Amino acid sequence: MRSLLNFLLRFKTLILFLVLEAVALVMISTSHNYHQTVFYGLSRNISGFVARRVESATYYFRLRSVNEELVRENTLLRRRLEELTARPAEGFTGADDSISGVNYTYMSARVISNSVNKQKNFITLDRGSKHGVEVGMGVASPAGVVGVVVGTSPNYSVVMSLLNIDFRLSTSIARNDYFGSLAWDGINYRYAKLSEIPHHVTVSEGDTIITSGYSAIFPPGLMAGTVTGDQKRGGDFVSMKVMLSVDFKKLTDVYVIGNLTREEWENLEEEVVR
Amino acid sequence: MNSFLRYTGAFVLLVALQLLIFNNIEFSGYVNPYVYVMFILILPVSIPSWILLLLGFLTGFVIDIFSGTMGVHTFATVLAGFVRPWVLSLNVTAEAAEDDMSPSARRSGLRWFLVYTVTVVLVHHLALFFVELFSFRYFFHTLLRVLLSTAVTTFFILLFDFIRPHR
Repeated sequence: MRSLLNFLLRFKTLILFLVLEAVALVMISTSHNYHQTVFYGLSRNISGFVARRVESATYYFRLRSVNEELVRENTLLRRRLEELTARPAEGFTGADDSISGVNYTYMSARVISNSVNKQKNFITLDRGSKHGVEVGMGVASPAGVVGVVVGTSPNYSVVMSLLNIDFRLSTSIARNDYFGSLAWDGINYRYAKLSEIPHHVTVSEGDTIITSGYSAIFPPGLMAGTVTGDQKRGGDFVSMKVMLSVDFKKLTDVYVIGNLTREEWENLEEEVVR
Repeated sequence: MNSFLRYTGAFVLLVALQLLIFNNIEFSGYVNPYVYVMFILILPVSIPSWILLLLGFLTGFVIDIFSGTMGVHTFATVLAGFVRPWVLSLNVTAEAAEDDMSPSARRSGLRWFLVYTVTVVLVHHLALFFVELFSFRYFFHTLLRVLLSTAVTTFFILLFDFIRPHR
């Protein structure tokens, strides 16, 4: 009788164990839309608040390198401005015309929480739906592509980092426009793998990898990385190691990229494909 | 009541340490210490298993909420709570099984505590890293991360066990 009772008691524990693990598994399996739930937004607001306090304390120590990066970008932008103003107007549209192709808007944001040491890394920004951030917007730093917004709360947003094994970026080789898919392999935070480049394309070390512009998330020509040796040939495609232009360990200031015509673009594609 | 407060304090302290410090430490992609498991390890020997499971669930859930990894830590910590009584029963002495003292190196010897800690932490980390990935795609790479992280987590738990107040 006593042993039966013990058995039942142990059995009770086992049942509780199985129930709790089942709940955990359900939470995991629904986590792909978890970033959009109200609950997550709430917890983001709490942990975002803490992360912001920590971040504002450590930000001062990085000011020097942040400044350097901003100066570098300023110079680049000045140069580009010079090119644009020097060029005579082509055709009928001027640069300030709304149909001249100004499709992208940029908003600055501060990284308040970030990681590089997991397989699925996420970044938290101090801008949220209140500032106009929407799920699906691209995020870039002055150095290049950073990730895509996957969830927002009023004051914060969560970005799926390029350093997330679920992330695929449509990129092309700047020199010859061939496009392939860039993804992180979860091993080294400085390198990612570019695959699906056709067999006959010659790629050399140091070639620049940029966004292809084949999705409404990133404008074309945004820096992603440079090819470093290590080409693997298999079947019809070549894959190679790419050194990322963004150093995710010292990420502080980023841009959220809004595409003014994204909805139109995606609706059209959906309509035609269906 | 007194011991309830003490364990609540330990819980808050370990979770805060994990979220504010250990989650931000980046030794390399291979080492992610999760020292909050220590809370499961130091609960009284005589604690009923079902409370242990519920506390494991609570601990993992809190960590999950604040690190945006829904369910992964919950799963691993419930498992750690489930195996703890088995690991204890493997090498606990008869007199120890009855009392409500917290397992520690000071009480049961460093060697005993080391074996106990490594076993539970290893189970926790194995579940955590493989469930986080949800595949065996990079099996040996992940296994290496598990082993290195287990070593570092164990080191910190032994360190904390050494400096925590014993009574």
